[in-house]
Amino acid sequence: MENSLTIKNVSKFYGSFQALDKINLAVPEGQFVTLLGPSGCGKTTLLRIIAGFLSCEEGEVYFGDRLMNDVPPEKRDTAMCFQSYALFPNKSVYENIRFGLRMHKVPKEQHKKLVEEAMEMVNLTGLGSRRPYELSGGQQQRVSLARCIVVRPRLLLFDEPLSNLDAKLREKVRVEIRQVQRQLGITAIYVTHDQAEALAISDRIVTMSAGRIVQNADPRTIYERPNSKYVADFIGTANIIPCSVESREGDRFVLKCAYGTLRAIDRDCTLQPGAQASLLIRPEDLFLAAPGSENAITGTTRTVVYMGNVLDMFVDVNGTSLRAGITKENVVTENAPVTFAVKPDRIRILEA
Amino acid sequence: MKGRKKRFQWGYLLLAPALGFILFLEGSALFMMIAQSLGFLNYTGEDAFTFAHWQQLFSRNFFDNLMYSLKIALLASLICLAVVYPLCLSIQKMPGKKTWLSLWKIPLFIPALIACSLMGNIIAYNGALNTVLLALKVIDKPLSLRNDAWGVGALLTQVWKNIPFMLLILYSAIEAVRKDVLDAGRNLGAGRVRLFFEVTLPVTMPSALVATIMTFIKVFNDYTISKVMGPIYPSTLSNLMHKAAYTLNDWHSAACIGCLMVVTSIIFVKLYTWLSDQITRRLS
Ligand SMILES: Nc1ncnc2c1ncn2[C@@H]1O[C@H](COP(=O)(O)OP(=O)(O)O)[C@@H](O)[C@H]1O
Ligand SMILES: [Mg+2]
Repeated sequence: MENSLTIKNVSKFYGSFQALDKINLAVPEGQFVTLLGPSGCGKTTLLRIIAGFLSCEEGEVYFGDRLMNDVPPEKRDTAMCFQSYALFPNKSVYENIRFGLRMHKVPKEQHKKLVEEAMEMVNLTGLGSRRPYELSGGQQQRVSLARCIVVRPRLLLFDEPLSNLDAKLREKVRVEIRQVQRQLGITAIYVTHDQAEALAISDRIVTMSAGRIVQNADPRTIYERPNSKYVADFIGTANIIPCSVESREGDRFVLKCAYGTLRAIDRDCTLQPGAQASLLIRPEDLFLAAPGSENAITGTTRTVVYMGNVLDMFVDVNGTSLRAGITKENVVTENAPVTFAVKPDRIRILEA
Repeated sequence: MKGRKKRFQWGYLLLAPALGFILFLEGSALFMMIAQSLGFLNYTGEDAFTFAHWQQLFSRNFFDNLMYSLKIALLASLICLAVVYPLCLSIQKMPGKKTWLSLWKIPLFIPALIACSLMGNIIAYNGALNTVLLALKVIDKPLSLRNDAWGVGALLTQVWKNIPFMLLILYSAIEAVRKDVLDAGRNLGAGRVRLFFEVTLPVTMPSALVATIMTFIKVFNDYTISKVMGPIYPSTLSNLMHKAAYTLNDWHSAACIGCLMVVTSIIFVKLYTWLSDQITRRLS
């Protein structure tokens, strides 16, 4: 399949500050790709380079096989949803959505049909004559989405579009965005710092840190097989502690750490016995077990919080903290001895 | 209850300075003007109620001056507007825009008379403008722009003097147009020029209207610049008024002209309020 977007060795400097460092990225047509990372890691910068609002000092941006570096934003055929919605305050909802059609010189007689189609797709039917300020945040972001999709852009860009919405609405609009993108098959680049959002919405997640791409993979791989402590820690909750590799037999490892001696199966790990490493255990991979079971970890509960769907607890294991999330049927009291176990293939070994 | 009422009454005294100012300084002048236009408060003869001064007023002379005032005011305010928009947009993109902005504000602090001398020097028969144009062979004999029949000298001076005022109002309006909204527009295929007419202009229209109307009224009521730089005849209504009062000693006619200037200004303020209401309602 052809790549919609290819980014080759892109670097960006603000004065002497390097915001992007040799970014390489290929996005196949129709994919939904999320740029994920903490605030300040360069997500917006990369997105604005793709849109053409910023130029880059080094590297190339291709749409298909066309080099876009010198193409101004209005000729790039991208459409962006902004965190602030960025609707035209002087235009009605209908005129906001129609704007792109007028700019792209779509014949006038098609406007009404296309705008109404787009409005229906994002559940805005009947609001065409409203002004932006007469809409709720969720509705404004839907207008912004409709304004983008009505022109069927080559690339749909999102810069933290849901950050100004409350949690419930965020989930709802997020589902709508994904549905519309699937339905139209438009390639999308989506920026967020919210890992849960990234996991829920993406075909691929590009995890960034300080101007670099750390891991580019599908959500399951990112969550279950992070390639570094950084990714493991940034996405979801995690127990990450230092360990040493005692022995190795193919993809089977014996690790020594503050939780005791643990067996792990990790086909990606290349470390040899004697190496210092970190191990990752997700809280939900721990389950209550009898003392003496395989990979048992025994400690004392410190806090137990009933979260509705799980019991979230912090356990003290030989002076090291362990976070566990177990199903709500279990009854665990605070300051009581407890034994967990974890399956060997649920332990991930990362570089120290 | 009683004490409270008393305090309440004393409170009215706080209005005295403002009310006094309006009543004694503005109200009395307005009253004198209206009275004089109807033949009262005669300095040289008997007081008598008459419409004679109003009837004499509408002469050829008056209309020439009225049209001249309107022409200069309209042209000056529109030229300023046409200059200030691109000026704001380019200052916005310049490095060190604060400095540029304060440089552009300088004419605001220069008295009209000095502005006239400055412009006079530039457009004089052997001044800078003519020298350059002659050297470039655009013209083959110097233009005489000062006190010219059409009023180019006065117009140029008015534009020079009023641009900073408009810049002040419009620049902040243009700065307030959100960058992400402009980005959204470009992203959807609008070039810079198109975007200006689609977004920046309509959004800043109310401010542009305020600036234009205020400049209009300032220029319409001007005395100095027209006197020094404008044609000998016609001139602004202020000049006509001055001539009537001081040269012809006809304070009643001067009062009539004054009344009409006030009325014209009020009409334009009303017109502006109505227009900006309409536009604001349509925009927001
Ligand atoms: N116009 C600018 N001038 C200087 N530094 C900037 C500018 N824009 C962004 N930066 C810096 O570049 C880095 C990346 O910014 P940005 O791409 O906005 O990050 P993100 O969207 O991931 O939060 C940040 O450290 C930010 O401070
Ligand atoms: Mg950002």
